[in-house]
Amino acid sequence: MTAFPLTARRTPHDPDRPALRRNNRSGREGYKVNWWLTALMLVASLTVLLPLYFTVAMALKSPDQIGTGTGLAWPSPVNWENFGAAYVATDFPRAFMSTAFVTVLSVLGSLACSSLVAYAIARNWNRRFFRGSFVYLLSAMFIPFPVIILPLIKQTALLGLDNPGGVVFLHVLGGISFNTLLYIAFVRSIPVELEESARLDGATTWQVFRRIIFPLLAPMNATVGIFAFLGSWNDFLLPQMMIADPALQTLPVVQMLFQGEFNTNYSLAFASYLMAMAPTLVVYILAQRWVLSGVMRGAVK
Amino acid sequence: MSAIPPSRESPLSRRALFKAAGLAGAAAVLPLAGCGSAPSSQNGVTTLRFMQNKPEVVAYFNRVIKDFEALNPDIRVIQDFNEGNFVPGLVRNDPPDVVTRGFAQATADFVRKGVFADLSDHPAAATIDPKVQDLVSSWGRYNGHETSALPFSLAAAGVIYNRDVFEAQGVAVPTTWDEFVAACEKFKAAGITPIYGTFKDSWTLGQGMFDYLAGGSLDVAGFFAKLTAKGAAISEDAKESFTSNFGPVLPKMLELAAFSQKGATSKNYADGNAAFAKGQAAMYLQGPWALSQLVAANKDVRLGSFPLPVTNNPADTKARVNVDMALSITRNTPNMAAARRFVSYLLDPSVVNAYNEKNAAFSPLKEAPAVENPQITGLAASVRAGRYYQGATTYFPPSVPLYNYIQSFVYGKNGEQFLSALDDEWRRVAERTAV
Repeated sequence: MTAFPLTARRTPHDPDRPALRRNNRSGREGYKVNWWLTALMLVASLTVLLPLYFTVAMALKSPDQIGTGTGLAWPSPVNWENFGAAYVATDFPRAFMSTAFVTVLSVLGSLACSSLVAYAIARNWNRRFFRGSFVYLLSAMFIPFPVIILPLIKQTALLGLDNPGGVVFLHVLGGISFNTLLYIAFVRSIPVELEESARLDGATTWQVFRRIIFPLLAPMNATVGIFAFLGSWNDFLLPQMMIADPALQTLPVVQMLFQGEFNTNYSLAFASYLMAMAPTLVVYILAQRWVLSGVMRGAVK
Repeated sequence: MSAIPPSRESPLSRRALFKAAGLAGAAAVLPLAGCGSAPSSQNGVTTLRFMQNKPEVVAYFNRVIKDFEALNPDIRVIQDFNEGNFVPGLVRNDPPDVVTRGFAQATADFVRKGVFADLSDHPAAATIDPKVQDLVSSWGRYNGHETSALPFSLAAAGVIYNRDVFEAQGVAVPTTWDEFVAACEKFKAAGITPIYGTFKDSWTLGQGMFDYLAGGSLDVAGFFAKLTAKGAAISEDAKESFTSNFGPVLPKMLELAAFSQKGATSKNYADGNAAFAKGQAAMYLQGPWALSQLVAANKDVRLGSFPLPVTNNPADTKARVNVDMALSITRNTPNMAAARRFVSYLLDPSVVNAYNEKNAAFSPLKEAPAVENPQITGLAASVRAGRYYQGATTYFPPSVPLYNYIQSFVYGKNGEQFLSALDDEWRRVAERTAV
């Protein structure tokens, strides 16, 4: 678990993975294994694994198995029907598509808007207007969201945005302060000389951004992308209050179905949570090495 | 500056990911574009939005709606259980057409602001039991006379008991406080927990022992009417105060708490349901909402309910009720005629009685059939005779942390402090909201 290749160079091909691992092992020769720290890590990893185990076990229990014992026991017999029932009850495909629509557009929108804003501000830092606009954007982070939600609902309804499109719009807008903050620090570290050489070759500002800056932002894109993904995939409050048509509602809101005031259908709820969690896990597994590489990149500056 | 990441060669490049994401995005847009918000009337079909407050009966109402649509082909009904969207709907000036809500303080706020249309001339209004309708009106009426909501389901709560445990110990359902205490003693002597306590969830103390004992000892509605009339001028020694009225309730609360199992303070509602369903106690102070959970945990459990006797006169025994669902039509709906037809259908005896029989609740109609569900038959006599009250906890504004006060009283047993805290809280809220 601790063996992430901090010093090994990133290798481009997956087939090389075994080789990389071998390199890695030889590179670690001479290290002493810190057993205390490893044990601590193992215990710490339980904070993730144990809830995950409960989620899976709960999703496979029948209602009469739920209250029994400590909850640690694996259900027997295993009750697979929960997934089917949750799938039907939530109208999963429709809710999933709606959530995917919101998430994909929020991620793309956040990446595009925030990086453009950050580039413009970072490269015009000497002008008062741009410095001021940065402070203006940052100040938005100090306004608690629940305070402005009802005015926002009124406003979006007037604009015909009381649907998933409006949620996307607000996600992109709401993320702009924090994402720009991340990007600006990164853009600053990119030497202006790179851009100047491109300009000498006749590149326009847009081309410079598209061909030089944006690709160099890759690690930060991954970070921002993951924040935007998690934020919009898991968001509850905004879709709950913004989306007027129940047929377009997103998964986290639809899953409320399993939670009445006094009745909670735990097994169906957890089965449905697991199904909703799957894309998050996949994205995390795919994107985590970019995040880690991004962390490294910032560290050696 | 380190090298540009050689992502182009990696098997899953950013570009490929973006492409895939773009495709997924496009695929997501296409089906959604088809079902954008349609106008409420299309080809002569009116679309009604029906916001319903109980997620656990969504499937039931889907069937009801299907039957309604078959009889009324010119109306389409969309069910929404996302109650959190009600206020945003009002802000958008596009609220759902027909609404069901649990009727208490929060809903009464909407009523007082005139959110709902007047249904007093609705034909179904005359079929409702006036005593049940009074429960709704008791929270205040718009313009002093309007009928903003018609009750659909009346939930009655008392003591849930395990019939098997009662029969095994030869204990009859108690009808007086002394009989009740004697029954508890008998269970205790036999090594059976008399009452399963779930004190960790403070609301269970509130709706359970506090509401039952207060409702059985004093006229709750009258007390709060006088208290509210007194306004911010209330003091502890005034005859309208909590201190002056709730004194006799408190020793009985402690008596009930003492009949709970050891470790009740660390058990919550879910623990209680699991344990009681397995026969680990004789009685459980919960309402009908717990019945389905108990049966889910043990389908063979035989349950019954009775109203908690608080005095030694059986005629005083009352049940705690709440209007679990009340039907309203929003005032500004453009589909008033269709909405009224839908409400008529829902309040048709066959529909409303079937719902309540199925969901362990009582029908609000004057001519409701006798309840057949053995889990709640024990409460039927009180409900039919109108011997009931709405829980004292429901009268408190949400800004008073009442349940925490009740919990700390049960743990700390300091009654004077508890009641004077309630008096203080009530006065503070009255001062803030005085007009």
